Amino acid sequence: MRKSVLVGIGLAALVSLPAKGAIAQTGTPWIHVRVEEAKKASKVSVNLPLTVVEAALQAAPEILEKQGKLHLGGHHDLSLADMRNLWKQLAAAGDAEIVSVESPDENVKVTRKGNLIQVLVDQKPKAGKTPEAGPAAKAEQVRVEVPVSVVDALFSGEGDTVNVKAAVAELQKLRGDIVQVHDEDTTVRVWIDEQNAQAARK
Amino acid sequence: MVKLAAVLAVPLALLATVASLGVMVVDVREGGPNGHHIVVPVPLVLAQAAVALAPADKLRVPENEGLQHVGVAREVLEALAKAPDGELVRVEERDELVVITKEGGQIHVRVHGSKGEDVNVNVPLHVALQALPDAHGRISALALAESLSAVRFTDLVDVRDGNDHVRVYVW
Repeated sequence: MRKSVLVGIGLAALVSLPAKGAIAQTGTPWIHVRVEEAKKASKVSVNLPLTVVEAALQAAPEILEKQGKLHLGGHHDLSLADMRNLWKQLAAAGDAEIVSVESPDENVKVTRKGNLIQVLVDQKPKAGKTPEAGPAAKAEQVRVEVPVSVVDALFSGEGDTVNVKAAVAELQKLRGDIVQVHDEDTTVRVWIDEQNAQAARK
Repeated sequence: MVKLAAVLAVPLALLATVASLGVMVVDVREGGPNGHHIVVPVPLVLAQAAVALAPADKLRVPENEGLQHVGVAREVLEALAKAPDGELVRVEERDELVVITKEGGQIHVRVHGSKGEDVNVNVPLHVALQALPDAHGRISALALAESLSAVRFTDLVDVRDGNDHVRVYVW
C-alpha cells in the first residue's frame, strides 16, 4: 500500500514538473520565424520574446531615423510624413481594396478587412511554364496580415519618425500568423504566440 | 609527526583557499593510443587579477562603425536576461543541427554534426554584458573580473570530435 502511494506521488510529481527544454506557455508573447527549404532539406526556426525584439528595435531605429525616409525601391521614396497622411486617408475610408495591381508577372492586392490589412501577392509561374509542368513551375504566394492598430501605432510618431515602441506594444496583443510566403522551394511563416519554442514543428 | 602536519598544512590550506575561490580548468584529451591528456588548472583569482591588471589600452575597442551597435547588443542581452527561458534558434540541415537556447542566465549553443562532432558552448549573459565595451570602446576590466567569479560550476566549452575531447569548465 505504502509502495503504491509513493509510486503515485512520484508519478504526480513527474507530471507536474515541466520537462527540461519542453515547450511551455510562458505568458510572454514570442515571435516565431520558420523557414523551410525543401531542396536543401533545411529548417530554420527563430523564436524571440517580443520584449527582446522591442529592446533591439528601440536601440536600432536611429538607423531609420537618420535617413528620415522609408525607401520603397530605387526611385520611389516616400517620406514618413507622406505615408502617415496617406494612412490617415485610408483609415478614414474603412473596408476597401486599397491597392490592386494585375500584371502578367504577378497580382498584388492590399485590402482592409475590418481590423486587418491584408497584402496578397501572387506571382505567376514564369513564362513558358505551367502549373502542370511540375514543381519547378510553381507560383510564389505571399500573405501578410497586419492589424490596423499596429500600423496606427507605427505612424503615431512625430515628423519623420516611426513609433516602434507603440507598434511592438500592439504586436504584443496579437496572436496568430502575420506572414506566410510560399514559393517553389521555400516556405516562410512568421507568427506570434506565447510558447517558448515552435510547437508541433508546423 | 606534528612537524609533518605543519609542513603539509600550509600547501593544503593554500590549495583549499585557491579551490574555494574557483579554478578554471582546460582539459584536452587527444584520441588514439598515444593521445595526450593535458589539464591546465588556472585559479580564478589569477585570471581575475590578470584581467583586472590588463593595460587599459588593450581593453579598448577601436572606435568604428561596429561600436555603434554595442548599444543594441547591450539592450538585447539585458532583455534576454529578463526574458523567459526557451529555444531561440534551431537550424536543422542534412549534416548539422544547431540549437541555441536560453536557460536561466545562460545562452547555450549546441552544434551536432552528422559525423559525431559535438560542440557545446555556454555563455553566461552577465559575463557577456560585462565584456561589452562602453560608448567610448572601453571594457571595464574590474567589472569583467568580478563577473568571472559568478560562473563557478559552469561548463563553458565542451567539444568532441572523433576521439578528441576539449573541455573548459569553472570549478
